Amino acid sequence: MTTEDSSEVAVRPELNRRQATSLAFDALAAVIPGLRIEELDERQELYADLGLDSLGFLRLLFELEGKLGVDLVDEDLVTIELLNVADLVDLVERISLLAAR
Amino acid sequence: MVATARDPQLPTHWFNILHDRPQYVTSAVSRSRLAGAMRLAGHSVQLQQPLSLARQSLNTADRFIPIPDEVLDLYAQYRPTPLRRAARLEERLGANARIYYKYEGANLAGSHKLNTALAQAHYYARAGVKRVVTGTGAGQWGTALAYACQVFGLDCTVFWVRSTLRQKPIRGEMMRLFGAVVHESPSDLTEVGRRALKEDPAATGTMAVATGEALALAAEDSGARFAVGSGENSVLLHQTVIGQEAISQLAQLGEFPDCVIACMGAGSNFGGIALPLLGAAEDAGKPIRLVAVESAACPKLTRGRYLYDLSDALGTTPITKVYSLGSTYVPPPVYAGGLRHHSAGPLASAMHADGTVEAMAIDQLTSFRAGLLFCETESILPAPESAHAVAGMIDVVSRHPRGGAPLVVLVNISGNGLLDLAAYRSFAAGEIEPVTADEASLSRSLSALEEFNQSIAEPAEAT
Repeated sequence: MTTEDSSEVAVRPELNRRQATSLAFDALAAVIPGLRIEELDERQELYADLGLDSLGFLRLLFELEGKLGVDLVDEDLVTIELLNVADLVDLVERISLLAAR
Repeated sequence: MVATARDPQLPTHWFNILHDRPQYVTSAVSRSRLAGAMRLAGHSVQLQQPLSLARQSLNTADRFIPIPDEVLDLYAQYRPTPLRRAARLEERLGANARIYYKYEGANLAGSHKLNTALAQAHYYARAGVKRVVTGTGAGQWGTALAYACQVFGLDCTVFWVRSTLRQKPIRGEMMRLFGAVVHESPSDLTEVGRRALKEDPAATGTMAVATGEALALAAEDSGARFAVGSGENSVLLHQTVIGQEAISQLAQLGEFPDCVIACMGAGSNFGGIALPLLGAAEDAGKPIRLVAVESAACPKLTRGRYLYDLSDALGTTPITKVYSLGSTYVPPPVYAGGLRHHSAGPLASAMHADGTVEAMAIDQLTSFRAGLLFCETESILPAPESAHAVAGMIDVVSRHPRGGAPLVVLVNISGNGLLDLAAYRSFAAGEIEPVTADEASLSRSLSALEEFNQSIAEPAEAT
């Protein structure tokens, strides 16, 4: 289950907020069927508003690993608790920093 | 640290059946199909499990997954476990069979559960979790997890199904000795528990409620996570050390089984012995019978429906396709608490659905008779759960024709019954009834299960 394609690491060591938001929205759309990107906003709650459950969250992480060229390990996700889309964008920024690892 | 020398028969990898049969990857329904009312505002999203465990449950790429060194060193303290021929039992049965058994009850925790408890505690500790919370039926999982948490410096909280806790208080003392906090479930500590107590103050408890309580408590504490002792693919994976050892131990004797038998709670001891044997049989082009023995009080494979269901009373775990009696089914309080879960795990269920696994239900009177016979002849007292496997094995062997080749059988004795002496004493005193399913509860629960499936089949409403 590791990400074999790490070609994006070099070109995207860090993201600005706009890029991170766009990546987070794309990743959400990839794992939540029927979700329309234009209807997303950062205040929406991932669980209550978007129906993202723990399995969906897992798929979302795998999606982000692929997009960012990062292999996440157990230690990376210890304290993560995401309430809303803004928290997810923060996470995308954090993960993008790991790409330089 | 000086490690115990590793026996060459101790497997260095877990065997992953999902590589050979990717169709068994768990089929789950998104919670977005649920009505909006079931979604809690302010509920944050987090990983319940360390990423390693989640990846193991979904991995179809690797047939063998390396066991972490730290876990192997701990396995080496009690593995390989014995494989023996039950010669005196064969003689007593007058069977045309060679009966072999694998014995998982000799470790400190007393059962196979230690195989996954050590692996899980390793991953939870590495992920920075401080406290692990769980639900336990028979108490074997709770005991194993309590010990594993102590080894890895984790706090451990156990919700234990009331009917079993009261049957064997000494096992609770064992969990506490290893540093665990033990609560009787239903408890007044959680909303799920309070609801169950309100419905019936004398509730005997179920695995679904105990699991729901553990999930609720874990959700309140950001440093805590819920851990599960059976059913999940990763848990079955960790148990495959059992079957892999059996293959090499039998090969030394020039044997390969025609039939593998184990009891079925949610599928971990069954999968642990059966999955590697299935892989080996397919490699060798040999047929193999895999028989799961369940409790007649909780007959999910023989009488359940293969539908989407919740595995806990809180309703936060994934909605997976399983053989189930419905999560509201309350099995009568039999002594085999480990067989009281209302559903089989997704992997064991998929294997039954496609005919790979046969199932039979055994009542507890028959199982205690078989357990005591096994004790007399083989000098091992099986746990009440494992006694179901022995009874199932006796049934299979007794149906094998006298003429022709002897049947070669492998049965998993998943745990010892040394903390179940009160149950065996009741059996000896003639106080045990052949308990079957609670028909009224079963009928209500199956109806609710079917309604639930209709509700999630509808397109999701916008919320």
